[in-house]
Amino acid sequence: MTPRPFFLWKHLNKLRWMTLVSIFVMLILIPYLHVYQTFLAAHAYDLLLPEEKQLYDVMEIITRPFVNDPEEQLDAIKGSTWSGTFWGFQISDPLAVVGQIAGSLKLYWPFLLTALVPFALSALFGPFFCGWICPATLIYELNTNLGALLRKAGLHIGNKRYDRRLKYVVLLLGSIIAMITGSAVFAGIYPPAVIGREIYYAIALGGFGSGAVFFLMTLLLDLLVARRGFCRYLCPGGALYSLIGRFRLFRIKRVIENCNDCAKCTSICEFGLDPLRDNFGQECNNCAACIAICPTDAMTFYISPRDVAYQGPGQLGPRYRRDMGIEDAAA
Amino acid sequence: MDRRFFLKTIGAVAALTAAAPTSGQAAKQSPSLRYLRPPGALAEEEFESRCIRCGQCGEACPNRCINYFGLQNGLASLDTPYIIPRDQACILCMKCGEVCPTDAIEKVERKLEPILQKVRMGKARVDENLCLSYQGKTCGVCYRACPLQDVAITVGRLEQPHVTENCVGCGLCERSCIQLPHAIRIIPDYG
Repeated sequence: MTPRPFFLWKHLNKLRWMTLVSIFVMLILIPYLHVYQTFLAAHAYDLLLPEEKQLYDVMEIITRPFVNDPEEQLDAIKGSTWSGTFWGFQISDPLAVVGQIAGSLKLYWPFLLTALVPFALSALFGPFFCGWICPATLIYELNTNLGALLRKAGLHIGNKRYDRRLKYVVLLLGSIIAMITGSAVFAGIYPPAVIGREIYYAIALGGFGSGAVFFLMTLLLDLLVARRGFCRYLCPGGALYSLIGRFRLFRIKRVIENCNDCAKCTSICEFGLDPLRDNFGQECNNCAACIAICPTDAMTFYISPRDVAYQGPGQLGPRYRRDMGIEDAAA
Repeated sequence: MDRRFFLKTIGAVAALTAAAPTSGQAAKQSPSLRYLRPPGALAEEEFESRCIRCGQCGEACPNRCINYFGLQNGLASLDTPYIIPRDQACILCMKCGEVCPTDAIEKVERKLEPILQKVRMGKARVDENLCLSYQGKTCGVCYRACPLQDVAITVGRLEQPHVTENCVGCGLCERSCIQLPHAIRIIPDYG
């Protein structure tokens, strides 16, 4: 028996869920903080409606330990994962930069530089954004779980498969449309951007916009046509991150000595990849779900710019024994 | 990829592409929609292509005057910020330009000179037939609401307002006008 992988890798999936949830909570908190700031700016606590007073009080309790001057200091965190400000440091999604360059046909350097950090991290870790940060991922994965429940209840859930390269076509066509029409096409069809905006609209402006309809349609697509269909086949952001992370250094590999061919990794993979046959590819976002579910600790991280080639059947599995002519001890 | 599916996709996208500019133009000509862009915004066409719809300008606005377009101004303006001065006018705090990552809303210092130079939201215009002061009833509310008093707006006899060339179009006068329909309103300048 080969040594077990580092024990923390097994728990990375929990850490990932906590990250996703906390980012989603932040996206809800930021609009509330903004509303609180506008109440502060108005200096008219007595004129607020009872529910507005409630919001004011709750936000005051939440922020009091951290800030002395909420009107100014709460400006430190603004925006969403599409583009945000953290203590004066602006970070944008690389897709926003690509879409904007296509739309305006101009290079605007200060904005280009805001995507530098995500770009560098993606080159190292691959499309980690998809699995670890994207606020839509949280809802999509819960949607997948709902689909599993519905399937158990006997309902038909779509499980079609298409070509994963379709999303690169979407990225290309989206850029071309942006060039022709001169507007930001991706902002309207990229779920994390849509979600960040719609949460803000719902909380601060009193109602969802048209993007909410789009997002519901992607949820239905995932449920009725293909599991995680939008991310797998259509998302232009996933396509861009996959291209950036094509030669990423952090990869997951199968330890063939521990593998028993149970195929749980392949069935858990949200992106329809095939870890069982060492088929990760550039779409793997290191979400670590396959590591967490593996019953024999056969999945681990390793550092290399390329995936390992197909290693053959797992050495604990029946096929390997049959191929090697080993008699089953139990037989 | 299935060839037929691929061709269908291309066809659908081409149809959408052809439809997008026309539907955008059609809605733009709607005369009832009079909106302002946030202070420091670029000229309309350039603004729409520069803005990435991140929504930070609205989140930074302490006056909650920045709202976002749905489909009422065409697809090209979807999710871009606008201000309807009658509902809530701009107080020229210049925070939206500060957070804008793309400088679709330019960074303007909150001082008189830079604001006069760079902010072109529109110009106020007084309808003398509606304005109370021009009808002999002393009012002067718009003058008192103006953040650039005596620079952008001056008053004469009976507090009759005169808008000067320096008006940047923040809309606080229109917001405060006690007449209905409003006697002073901003004629937007989209560059």
